[in-house]
Formats: sequence, structure tokens, C-alpha cells
Amino acid sequence: MFRNNYDNDSVTFSPQGRIFQVEYASEAVKQGSVVVGIVSKTHAVLAAIKRNAEELSSYQKKIIPIDSHYGIALAGLASDARVLSNFMKQQSLASRLTYDRAIPLSEITSRIADRAQTNTQQYGKRPYGVGLLIAGVDAKGPHLFEFQPSGVTQEMVACGIGARSQMARTYLERNLDEFEGASREELVKHALRALKESLSQDKELTIDNTSVGVAGVGENFKLYEGSDIQNWLETTFENREGDAAAEGEGMEVDDS
Amino acid sequence: MNHLPQAWGRPRDDVYGAYDASHLQTSGPQQHTQSPIVTGTSVVAVKFKDGVVIAADNLASYGSLARFTDVKRLRKFNSQVVVGFGGDVSDMQYLDRLLSSLDIRENYSTTETPLNAKNLHTYLSKVMYKRRSDFNPLWNHILVAGLEHENKPFLASVDLLGTTFSSPTLATGFGAHLAQPILRRVVPDEATVESVSREQAVALVKECMKVLFYRDARSLDKYSIAVVTKDGIDLKEDEKLESQSWAFAEGIRGYGTQVN
Amino acid sequence: MTSIGTGYDLSNSVFSPDGRNFQVEYAVKAVENGGTAIGIRCKDGVVLALEKLITSKLLKPGANKRISTIDRNIGVVSSGLLPDGRHFVSRARDEAADWRRSYKAPIPTSALANRMGSYVQAYTLYSSVRPFGVTAIVGGWDLEAEVPVDGQVGSGPSVGSGGKVEGLKHGGPFLYMIEPSGLYWGYYGAATGKGRQSAKSELEKLDLAAGNLTLEEGVKEAARIIYVAHEDSKDKDFELEMTWVSSLAGPTKGRHEEVPKELREEAERLAKKALEGDDDEEEKMEE
Repeated sequence: MFRNNYDNDSVTFSPQGRIFQVEYASEAVKQGSVVVGIVSKTHAVLAAIKRNAEELSSYQKKIIPIDSHYGIALAGLASDARVLSNFMKQQSLASRLTYDRAIPLSEITSRIADRAQTNTQQYGKRPYGVGLLIAGVDAKGPHLFEFQPSGVTQEMVACGIGARSQMARTYLERNLDEFEGASREELVKHALRALKESLSQDKELTIDNTSVGVAGVGENFKLYEGSDIQNWLETTFENREGDAAAEGEGMEVDDS
Repeated sequence: MNHLPQAWGRPRDDVYGAYDASHLQTSGPQQHTQSPIVTGTSVVAVKFKDGVVIAADNLASYGSLARFTDVKRLRKFNSQVVVGFGGDVSDMQYLDRLLSSLDIRENYSTTETPLNAKNLHTYLSKVMYKRRSDFNPLWNHILVAGLEHENKPFLASVDLLGTTFSSPTLATGFGAHLAQPILRRVVPDEATVESVSREQAVALVKECMKVLFYRDARSLDKYSIAVVTKDGIDLKEDEKLESQSWAFAEGIRGYGTQVN
Repeated sequence: MTSIGTGYDLSNSVFSPDGRNFQVEYAVKAVENGGTAIGIRCKDGVVLALEKLITSKLLKPGANKRISTIDRNIGVVSSGLLPDGRHFVSRARDEAADWRRSYKAPIPTSALANRMGSYVQAYTLYSSVRPFGVTAIVGGWDLEAEVPVDGQVGSGPSVGSGGKVEGLKHGGPFLYMIEPSGLYWGYYGAATGKGRQSAKSELEKLDLAAGNLTLEEGVKEAARIIYVAHEDSKDKDFELEMTWVSSLAGPTKGRHEEVPKELREEAERLAKKALEGDDDEEEKMEE
């Protein structure tokens, strides 16, 4: 039933020094719907595609506010994300209680990273099957961190994870230089455009299947869904037909 | 007499009867610290427009004995906070080590903002309250002096019960009775802080240290004084009270050697 | 590796008939693919340097530091699985804190290396865990001065009995490297990761055992060696991360810190120049 003898558990190295169970866990992230995060000098934005199991069911939660200054977006096993988010909420509250300080994002990220690492070195445990984007603002300004099941965490300027997220990342790489100086609105639009890139041809961003989370300097993390994002969707994709051509120029016009 | 500690200095059993060991039994309710042993006395502090001045003398008393005369009771935390300890000296040393381990942890990352005085006071108040709730208090009264966000002067206290209190002027121990009124005469409220200069604040604290030395039998004329501003901490640990005048003692009945 | 597939390499803590623990050897393979990490023990301090490969354009430049501080005076750089490196560092910090609780003084670098060697070795003993996929270089400066114990408040009696033996020499720079097996040695110059072979041969040229290299020179050599080691994977971009720890009298005052930006950039400039120089020489030889 196994592909080889070395992928039964997370405590076995392959002869090449790989841990297959951990690599397989990373595949679970790619099963999840895409999420995107970007930071500017003043803001951090998360955007996500929500899935519903069937027409009449509700949509799966993709962005979870953790503390007033940050939130996470998840791709992969939602129940693993819930475990991690509960832990993050608890740790964030503890920081506010004992130090009267909002927990630094690097700190909370490394705490879940350490937890995740334990699951890759002990028999009887399995790696988390979820990837996270952690975005918000702390004493040192806006931050975006990526968390992977292996316990690898990295601070990013922009990032996309989940199904077909390579398309989103390509968009982000192409527009990388514009993020730092972007305004709040521009940043949200970039995130939505990146999200759109990863969508299959027949799908659209709607107020039902899209979530946006924003935090800024002096602005708490807030989750936007439903009618709250109507305006963003309309203004981001107003000239949908001429999308490709208008993209670059359109933003120049916004600036002036 | 035998070698056992409970027999040390005891009269001989054969003459005076056996030692009553009933109070040495290990059963019964568990007890923790019932009183401090080696103690430091007052800590005084006052805010001024750019920061805080804090002082404490260098004496550690063993009861009424002036046991150690070079004990530094003001402790720096990173480069922005000074913590002043009154009360039990060994508990102070424990807290000092606790703060040092916290400082080491905080310095693993050089990119994060350091804990400020307010953060530290919150932390200490949780430590103190936890210990009193365990019926095992750290027998100290602590002043935390430094700056909070936007470089605003910060001064607050926490005691062995975990009680917190903040005011533009603070003093622990004997100083709470003797120094606080003097401090309040100059800095009655938060609004006045803006008009107090560094020199005024230092002079005021020194005046308090002098009054405390005159009237507090567990005090010393060698003291430490620190000024915390946004430029850092200026800590002097070997100051001597200047221009003492004991002339006033003449007229006071029962003061010093004069009996009546 | 003829025994691969015979079943003796599937579980940690199991010996093969010829006396090998394959899982440990496989863990070493994980290290061999990591970015090059080196440490140099100079006469007045220690330098640690790391070749940090840029895996994505979206990474925040200059963030994601990977050389860590233990206590205040020791640095750790590792090559291999990143999360395992973090686990190693976290344990090392606990050990250092534990030492302070017992002895009211900072842990000597040798003692830390010893404790971490034992810890890593324990992960080769049980089938319920896997070995560490990292090789870690531990560099530190043990204080040469007489320091107060933690929590000390006074200076003790100025006359009478007690006191210290005068003229004893202690402290200094120390460097150790701990492998996935738990094996560790002390080094003058240590290298691990992908480019370790060329890094090692460069380190050997420095004659570190003579103890003449200064810390400032060490910083420049470290930068150059990382650049040399990077030659084999030239197609990938990398960031150079460098830390150092000096004597009390030196630039870091006995603390483990990042090498200042100006000095690092100067060292990088010299490193690039040295590499270009090498290329020129080779070309001349060909002529």
C-alpha cells in the first residue's frame, strides 16, 4: 500500500535524508483552496477563496482573527488549523495578560513552528496538514509569515498557498515592487487580483466565496465578508474584459 | 549539649529537663515565609518631565543590625527600566535572577522592541500576585521606574500582596510615611510633572533620602540613585548624603542619645 | 550502502549486521543538502557565518535570521532541516537557563556543547524518535573577567578571609560542532552543509591553530569562505548572515551579536573582489 518503505511514519529518514510523511503533509496544503497575503509599509492583507460542500451548505471558514492585531488564513485541514488557532489565541491572550503587550508576530509564529516540529520527530504523532499565513501589525509594523506543516516558517513580503497558488505567486512576484508603497485599497485589490489568478476559468470571485482580512498601523485586524467586500470586488474587476491590458496602466491612473 | 541544631545554646537536659520538641514537628499545616529576614528599607521615586528619578540606600538590615552596607537595591532592566526593591533581600535576589532570565529571553531576537517599564510592571505584578495566592509571598515592595510608549515617564509599584499602585511620586516602607508628603508638596498631581525639571527632581529625592536618614533607624547615608530618560539610565551606586546637619536633634526629646 | 533495502535501515536505534545505524547516516544526508555554515575561532573571538539560499523572490529580504543566540554569549548556526535547527536551539536555551538556575552563572561553551551532544545522541537511541537532521556549530566567548554571580548585591568583605586565587586564566573563545549522531569535537574552524568541502580546505589554509587571526580578519575570511563555498551553487541567490562574539574589550563586549551591516558589506565587497581575482589568475594560468 505504501510507495516505499520509508514513508510509513514521520520518524524515518529515507536514504536521501528526506522525511516522506512530512512531504505528504505538505500535499494536504495544496488540496485546500487558495489564500493570499501581502504587506505594505502600513498594512497587512489576507484574502481567501472559501469553498462550500454543496449548494445549500455554508462556506468553510478560511480567515480566522486571532487577536485584535492579527489574524490567520489557512489552506489544508481546517480542523488542524482550529487546533493551532486556539493555541495562538491562548498564547496571544497570555502575552497581553502578563506583559500588557500585543504578542510580536515573529514570536507567535515561532511558537507554532516549534509545536509543528515536535510532530515530525516523534512516533505516534503526525505532522499538521495545514499551511497558514499569519498577518497583522505589531510594535515593529506590519508583518506576514508563512507557516508550513514541516515547521518551516518564513517572513514574506507576499505569499500564496493552497490549490493552484502558483498562479497567485506569479502575479505577486510580477507586482512585488508595488506593494511596499501601496495604499490600503491598492493592497486589497492586489490580493484579490492574485486570488483571481488562481481561480479556474469557470469560477468568479463573489461576495459569497471571498474573504478579506485587513490590519494596519493604528487599525485592528478586521475580517470582511459578504456585502462588505462588494465594493472591492466591483472596483477591482470593473473592466473585466480588458483585464490583461488595463492592469498595469489602470494602476498608474489610480496613482495620479 | 549535643550537635543537633535544636540543642545549640540550650541549657543541659539533666539540669533543666528535656527540650520541648513539639514545635519542631513536621506534621501540621505547611508554612511558608512568615516574615522577611534581611531587609532593605525605603525606595523613593518621582516623575519629572522627561523621566523618573529613583533612589534607595545601600543598607541591608538583619533585624535592627545594620548587617550589609554595600547592597545595591536599584536594578537595571535592559537600558530603559530601573526596578527598586524594598523588603527581603534574598527575595530581591530571586527576582533579580528572574528578571535577568527574562532579559536573556527577550534578547534572543534583536529585532523586536524591548519590554518597557509598563510591560515589566505588569509582569512583576503577576509574579507577586501569583506568589501571594500560593500563600508564599515574595516579601518585597517594588517600584518600577522608566518609560512607557511614546517615551512617557512611567512609575508604579507592586507589593507582596500583588497590589499595584501608580502615582507621580512613590515611596516604599518608611518612606511611604516620611518621604511621600515631601514629594507630594512639590509634585501634587500628574499635571505638575510637566513642570518639574530633572535637577529639581534629583534635588527633591536627595532631600527625601536625607530626611529618611535622619528619622529611619534602619537607613544609611550611602545610597544609590538613578535617572531614567529616553537617553538611557544614569545609575550611581555609591552616593553619600551631603550637607547633613544634626542641629535639629538638639531640640527633640528622646532623639538619639538624649533620654529626656 | 549495500545494506539499503535489507530492512535494517527502516528504524532508528537498530544496528545493521555490520554495526551501523543507518537512520543516523540518512540524517547526515539531510544536512549535506543544507546551505553552508561555518565557524572560525579567532584569538579574540568567534565568527559564525551562513550561506542562506533564497528560495523565493517573495521572501522578505534581511528577515528570517537563522543564527541564534544562546544565553548572551553563545551563538548557534546549523545546516540541515530548519525546524530541527530550531528544536536544537530551543533545547540549548533551556540548557543554558537550567545551568544558570543551578550555578548562578552563564554556561561555559564546552558544557553547552557537552549537554547538547548528549541530547542529540539520545535521539539515536529510540525507535520512537528520529535523529536530528542538523549539524550545529556552537561558538561562544566564556567571560575572562571575574563576574558577580547572578543576583549578587554587594561586594563582600574588603578584608579578611575568602577571595579568589589571583592570576588564574580562564575564559576565551570556543567553537564546537555537533553532528546528528551526537558526536562533537572542538574546532579552530568548522564547516558543514553543501559547500563544506571547499569551505574546509579554505579554513585549513588559514593556519588557525597558530592563534594569530584577529576577529576582524576572521569576519572577512568567513565572508570570503562562504562566497567560495557558494561557487558550486552559483545559479541560486543567497544572503550572507554573519554573527560574532568577542572578548569584553572587543567590539561585542562578550555578547553574541550580528556583525554590523557596514562591516558585513565591506567583508562581502572584499569577498567578491577576491573571487574575481581568483578567476583572473586562473585565466592567466590558462594563457
